[in-house]
Formats: sequence, C-alpha cells, structure tokens
Amino acid sequence: MADLLNTSISGLLAFQRALDTTGHNIANAQTVGYSRQLPQFATRTPQQFGSLWLGSGVDVGSVHRAYDNFLAAQSRSSSSAASQAGTFATQAARISNLFGDGEAGITASLQSLVNALQSVADTPASIPARQGLLSQSQALVEQLRATDASLRSLDAQMNAGIASEADSITALAQGIAQLNGQIASAQARSGQPPNDLLDQRDRLLDELATHINVEVVPQGDATVNVFIGNGQPLVLGQQASRLVAIGDGFDPARQRVAVASAVGTMDITGSLGGGTLGGMLEFRQQMLDPARNALGRISAGLTQVMNEQHQAGMDLRGNIGGEFFAIGAPDVRAHEINGGDARILASLGDSAGLTGGDYVLSYGGGAWTLRRQDTGAVVPMTGSGTAADPWQADGLNIVHDGGVPAEGDRVLIRPLSDAVAGLQLRVTDAAQVAAATPVIANASASNQGSATVGGLRVIDASNPALRSEATLTFLSASQYQISGDPTVHTFTPGQPITVNGWQLDLQGTPAAGDSFAVRDNSNGVGDNRNALAMADILGRPVLDGGSTSLQSAVGQMVGRVGVQTRQAQVTHEAQQLVARENANALDSVAGVNLDEEAANMMRYQQAYMAMAQLVRVADTLFQSVLDATRR
Amino acid sequence: MRISTLGFTAGSVSAMQQQQVSLARLQNQLALSKRVLTPSDDPIAMVSILELQRAQSASRQFATNATLARNRLNLEEQALVDVTSAVGRARDLILQAGNVGTQSDADRRSIATELESLLGSIRDIANRQDGAGEYLFAGFSTSNPPFIGAPGTAPTYVGDQGERLLQVSSNQRIADGHHGSAVFMDIPAGNGLFSTAVSSDNTGSGSIDIGAVVDRSSWVSDDYTLSFTAADSWEVTAAGPPPQVIAAGSYVAGEPIEFNGVRVTVSGQPASGDSFQVNRSVGESVFQTLEEIVGVLRIPAGNASANARLASSLQGTLQQLDQVSEHMLSIRAQVGVRLASLDAIDATREALNVDLAGSLSELRDLDYAQAVAQMNQQLVGLQAAQLSYTRIAQLSLFNYLR
Repeated sequence: MADLLNTSISGLLAFQRALDTTGHNIANAQTVGYSRQLPQFATRTPQQFGSLWLGSGVDVGSVHRAYDNFLAAQSRSSSSAASQAGTFATQAARISNLFGDGEAGITASLQSLVNALQSVADTPASIPARQGLLSQSQALVEQLRATDASLRSLDAQMNAGIASEADSITALAQGIAQLNGQIASAQARSGQPPNDLLDQRDRLLDELATHINVEVVPQGDATVNVFIGNGQPLVLGQQASRLVAIGDGFDPARQRVAVASAVGTMDITGSLGGGTLGGMLEFRQQMLDPARNALGRISAGLTQVMNEQHQAGMDLRGNIGGEFFAIGAPDVRAHEINGGDARILASLGDSAGLTGGDYVLSYGGGAWTLRRQDTGAVVPMTGSGTAADPWQADGLNIVHDGGVPAEGDRVLIRPLSDAVAGLQLRVTDAAQVAAATPVIANASASNQGSATVGGLRVIDASNPALRSEATLTFLSASQYQISGDPTVHTFTPGQPITVNGWQLDLQGTPAAGDSFAVRDNSNGVGDNRNALAMADILGRPVLDGGSTSLQSAVGQMVGRVGVQTRQAQVTHEAQQLVARENANALDSVAGVNLDEEAANMMRYQQAYMAMAQLVRVADTLFQSVLDATRR
Repeated sequence: MRISTLGFTAGSVSAMQQQQVSLARLQNQLALSKRVLTPSDDPIAMVSILELQRAQSASRQFATNATLARNRLNLEEQALVDVTSAVGRARDLILQAGNVGTQSDADRRSIATELESLLGSIRDIANRQDGAGEYLFAGFSTSNPPFIGAPGTAPTYVGDQGERLLQVSSNQRIADGHHGSAVFMDIPAGNGLFSTAVSSDNTGSGSIDIGAVVDRSSWVSDDYTLSFTAADSWEVTAAGPPPQVIAAGSYVAGEPIEFNGVRVTVSGQPASGDSFQVNRSVGESVFQTLEEIVGVLRIPAGNASANARLASSLQGTLQQLDQVSEHMLSIRAQVGVRLASLDAIDATREALNVDLAGSLSELRDLDYAQAVAQMNQQLVGLQAAQLSYTRIAQLSLFNYLR
C-alpha cells in the first residue's frame, strides 16, 4: 500500500510541476521572446516484487523549451535584411521628397532663371527686368543650397546614427556575453538548461540582428559565439568586443565602424551588412553621396556655362561681364597618417569631365597616381602638376604646391563636396547683368555685294583689342584686309572670320570694295544678344563630356533618386514579408497558445485530482486492513 | 501549424496597419488629386512631369516674348505708314514744282519750305520712341536719338545696325524691328543700278533723263562721266581707276546714248565742256533726297542751264521718291511677314499648350473613379479585418472554465 501512496504522491508532485509550467506559460503569454515550456514526464524506476516489476509513479524529468535554432537563425537573418531595407527606404524617401515638388523643384527654378533671362532679352534696358533676373538667380542659388543643406544634414544624421548604432551593438554584445556566463554556470550547476535565461539571450540576439547581420555559433557549454562582417568575433563566450565609430582617415567627421579589442581597432566598415547599421552605411554610399555629387555637378555645370557666357557679354555701363555665379572649391584632405608634407591643391576645370565620383591621389614609387575612390580604378592624368601646367583628369585641375610627399601618402579629393555650399550669385547690381555683346558689326552703306552680317560672337573676352575698331575691307569675294594692314586674308564662305577675340559670320558674297566695321558697342543698351545666348544654357550639353545638358542632368538625378527609393520600398516590403513568415514559423514552435494552455491546465488538473483520489483509495484500502484486524 | 496568441494579435495588428498605410496614401492622393506625389511613386512619370511642367513654363514666357515682339512690330508699321504718307505728299509737291513754266521762283521757294518741313517730320518719325522710351530705329543704341543734325539738313545716323531678336518658341527667334540705317538711309539711288545727274557748272541747256537699263548683264558697276568734248560730240569716261574712255559718239538732241547696257537721253543743247554723271547706285537717305531738292528749288531759275538742271533734278527726285515708297513698302512687307509668323507661332503654341496640359494630366492627375473604387475596397478590407479580429480575439477556452 505504501507504494500506492508513493505513486500517487509522485503524480501529485509531477502534475503540480506541470501546472506550474502551464501557469508560467500563461503568465508569459504576452512576453515577447518567451518560448513556451513543456514538462517532460518520465516514469520512475520500477520496483521488483518477486518476479514482477511494478511501476512506482511519475517524475518530471526536465522542463523542455519549445525552440528551433534553425528557424531562429533564419528569422534573424531575414529580420536583419528587412531592417536594413527599412532603414534605406525610410532615408531614401526623405531624399525623394526633397526632389518631389514639380512646381517648386530645381527644374522649375532653372526654367524660371531662363524665363527671367528672356525677360531681360525682351527689354535689355529695363532695370526691373534685370532685377527680376537677379532675384530669380538668387532664388535658384538658395534652393540649390537648401537642398544641399538638407542632404548634408542627412549626412550628419547618418554619422550620428552610425555612432549610436555602434554603441547599441556594443551594449547588446555585452549583455549576451554576460548571459553566456550565467547560462554556463546554471547549466553546470543543475545539468538542466536554464530556459528563461536562454530566452533572454535569444531575445538579445534577435535585437542584435535588427542592428547588424550576425552569425551565431552555439558552443558545447550552452554558450554562443557571435560573429559579424567577415567573421569578426563580437562575442566569444563571456568576452564581448566593442564596436566603435571612428573618424575616416581623410575626414574625421565621416564615421566608420571598427572593432576594438585588446590588440587594437580594426576598421570593418566595408564588410558590414544588414540591420539598421548596414542600411545606414548602404544608404550613405549608394544614395546620399551620389545625390550630393549629382547636385554639385549640376551646380558646377550651371556656373561654368553661365559664367562663360556672361563674361563674353557687356553690361549696361559698357563693361565686360564678370562672373555670374561662384561655386565652392573641391574638398582636398590629406590622410591623417601621411608622412610627408606635400600640399595638394585642386580646382574645378571643364565641367564636361566631371564624373560625380571622389578620388584618391596617392604617392608611390616616386610618382603620383589618381584613383577613383569607389572603384579603385586608375584615372590617367595629363600635365605636370605645376601651377602653370596642372594635372588634369575628369574635370579637375590638381597642383602639387610644394612640400615633399612620403611613400604611401594619400590625399582624398572630393571635387563637388562643397560645390553647392559655396554657390553664390556674384552679380549684385542689376546694371551689371551683361545682356549685350561688347562689339557690333556694321556693314558699309556703299557695299555692293550681297554679304550681310549673320552673327557676331565674342570667343575671348580677355583679348585686349576686343573692342578696338576693326574694318574688314574686301579686295575680292574671297580676300580681305583688316584695318589697312597690308596682309591679305582669305575668306571662305560659311567659315567665320576670327579677329581680336570675336568671330563674325558673313552670309552671302561680298564684292570688291565692300567693307564691314566691327566696333565697340558701348551705346548698345538695347542689345540683347548675350541675354539670348544665356537663355540657351539649359539645353547646352555641358556635362558628361558634352553629351548631357543641365536639363537632362536634373531629370537623370530625379529619376535616379526616384528609382532607388522605389526599389528600396519594394525590397523593404518583400523583406518584411519574408521576415514575418520566418518569425511566424518560429512562433508556431515557440509561441504560447492560450487555448492550448487552458486545455493543458484542465488536463493536469484532472490528473492531479485523479492522483488525489488515488490517495483516498490507498487510505481506504489501508483502513479496510485496519478495520479487518481491529477486533 | 500552431498559432501563438501573441503572434495572432501582432499579425492582425500589422495587417491592419498596412491597410491603414495604403488608405492614408490614397487619401493623400485624393486630397491633392494627384497620382504621383514624389519621384518614388513613379520615377519615370515624375521625370516626364518635370519636363512637361518646364515646357509649360517656357511656353508662358514665349507667349510674353511674342506679345512684346508684336507690339513693337505694330509700332514700327505705324511709323512706316506715316513715312509713306509724308513721302506721298512730297511727291505731289515735286510734281507741282515740275511745272516749270507756270511756277515762279517764289512758288518754288514755298514748295521748298514745305518740303523742308516734311523732311523734319520724317526725321521725327525716325526718332520715334516706344512706350518704354527706347528709340525704335536706333539698332541697339536705343537710349539716344539715332538721327541727329541741324533742322532743315539731312540728319546723320548715329545708331548702329543691331537687330534685336526675341525668342518666340523653343527654336524660333523673330526680330522686333529694323535699324534706322536699313529703313531710312540705305535706299538704293536712281533705278537701283545707276543714277543720273547734271553737273552744277554746266553752261548749256542740256538736261539728262533718269535713264533705263537695256541689258543688265553688260552693266559694269562704276561711276561714269558723260562729257561733251564739243557741242555735238560726247564721250563716256569710266572713273576707274584708272579713268578711261569707254564710249564716244556724236550728239543728236533727244537721241539716246547707250553704253555698257544702259541708255540715257540728253535733250536740249549742251555746251562744249558740259558733263553729266551716270553713277552706280549707292545707298541714299530719304533725308538727303529731300535736302538736295530743297536746295535746287531755292536756286532762282531763269537761264537755260539752271532750267535744265532743275528739270533733271525734279525728274531724278521723283524717281528717288518712288524708290523710297517702294523701299518702305518692302520693309512693311517684312514687318507683315514677321507679324504673320507670330500669328502662326501663337497658333502652334496654343496647340502645344493643350497637348502639354493633356499629357501632364494623364501622367500626374488622379483617376478619381479608380481611386475612389480602390478606397472603398480597402475600407471594406480594413473593416473586415477589424471585425474579424475583435470576434476571434474574444474566443478563448478560458471563457468556459467556470
């Protein structure tokens, strides 16, 4: 009978444990990251009665945690990808919104500038029209700068974000290492897995995965090792590495990511991916930098083409036009570990050569080599690097301005980084708008031939003789002299005549004795030729080696931003779906279902009550024996 | 497949949130009545939208430019009409003066005075300003009067030969006027090939007509002097250089003299040593023409040579005034062509505007019917999700454990 009592007590205890577990499950039904626990019932060792083996009840052998490491790894990797795509998409949308407004966008402002130029061409002597041009130009400058400032502030946010991500990852890694220690000792103490501690650690691993892609390798002592990037250890047993944000060697403000360990810090920016940190790094490299450079390139093209044309013109006071816009110079930075003291200067040359990329100029083997920073491809340079004959490559002029380089020295050149920030309108006085052309061609009244003046352009405003009077006198239909100079020049119909920095087109055939005088146009306040020429700027192919106009460059930039953002959004949605699927799969193994728990509770309660009944039966049996012997 | 209670709640809530995001986007589109709000909504459409909006803005500016060009051309045309009518009056006066027999010196002097005032009024027209105070016929030098000189004399042109073009469509520019040199100064003298004149120191009564072209291809552009070596023999000397005699003959009054493809007729009796000029045609200003005839009309007539000179001058001036009228007409024709081009360009632009607006609307604007239908559908979806969630979430086995 004692055995019966023992058996029922073992059942009572086992089902009490089971009810405890169920209660724990119900209590944690709303706990994120909690894995349901299941009591594992096991029969006790049977006892021998004669030749019989009789069972002696039940024990809870262990409490099992419903979990699947494979599903968990899948879920983490997909949540890492989803969070990277989400970060990218969120930031991309901010750039996309910057370029969104068609009626107040950059395209519209450029066209307004052209319209204002045409208004000046309509009434070149009118100060209000000129004032209108200056206001419109200022508005365009401010718009470009505001857009650039928004992009810069995004850049600053990315830098701050990268630093705080590194801190979060370090904190999570430390938490995981600490839990590793607790788990190892708990496991060693009891030989049983400490389920709730495991849940806590898995929860930290899940969270870590939303920051960065991780690889989790379980160890024999129930601890895990965590690796990031190309296998850089973040957590090894109870040891956690620190992830730190460090300044770029060229630009301390630009944050990179490194692992700090006892032996030093190692820059692992290039190998990181996944999670919010991966999203930020990707966004900065794939979208933010190109967008800033594209904006800079458009500004550089605009400045060059406007300045060239404006400087070929004459203002209302009869002076040659000056610069219309000014633009920021390239950003040149020597690497912090450079051994030499070579000074490198860079300036913008022909905007047709600008690529929108950044460059590294490095010294090695007695020579300087220019490479694209993104691809590492060598960019050939012409010239000798002196101020008189600078190295020229991709729209850049580079000068080695003294100092001695050391082997391996590197200099970063970002041609357009500060271009827009330095953009400004140089013409402040409406009368200084050079709407006129400084010279005018007049045909002599006694001309007998059919030649007429087709066009007169300034091609070199710096020519000192530009505005001196020059008379072309024709000796025959194909020969002419200039201002009495006996040298005879040949005139080819259809070919312009170039003298003193101007270029004259003659249409028709001149007769002997015909003459054309090219004179100073100081009185030409009604002249609009240069304003008309300036109004053409949007369509001129000034970028990409003379194949892309400003107008299409803006279109390309907006199109690219739009496509990238759209792509990021689509990727994000898809990744979210995958991540949800994977999370659901894990959840279907590990999650608590209240109905299931209710059923279990009833089951264990009934079993417990049955066991209690068995105690009474044992008691009754025992009593009947007692009653039988009490006489 | 198990469903965890927490997972069910989280899944349902995230599904509802997604529906709400779509609804918010639709609502935004409906509120702004635009389909494409940022480049990422439809990158390709956005690039086209920007381009179309730019084209619309450019088109508005072209319309402004064209209006300005039309106004200025209308002003110019009015000025040309005024010049033509003044020239017509001058022609009447010359005809009147041509009646040498009945007109006294005093009559001619009064005609000369009236011609002088006509010269002044043509000069005023040539110095006319537009509404903004710019001189119409000054070329680019629009801030100063282009024709200056003492009253009663032929003014000189101090403007330039600039011609201002206005951009009236993306690829068309139209000049908004003519410079004064083209309108008033460079009028071909004589018949366009040559002009004739009587030397002022002739003593005989010979006069020369305006001449005619017999064979244009034989004409050699030069200045010629028809001189009488004796009362009955003439020779023609080309100015060269070097001067050379190219034709000679004996003179019969009223019989035409031909050389180098032209024919002139001298009538009356020239004296030996008298000469006549047959000069190649150069540009002459309308002012010069009038100034010369005013001078001639003021010389008292009387002797034969003066009468001969007067007759030749009057005939030459009549021809020259016809040239002026024709010249004005051709300039007016050019103005008319430009105005007609402007009308055609306007029509094209209007058509283009309709096109642009249509394309823009197609790309950017919201299809309301579709959007509203979509919104209703999503509303139903969201309501269903909310309802089903509340019903399912209420179900629990625990409800039966009492």
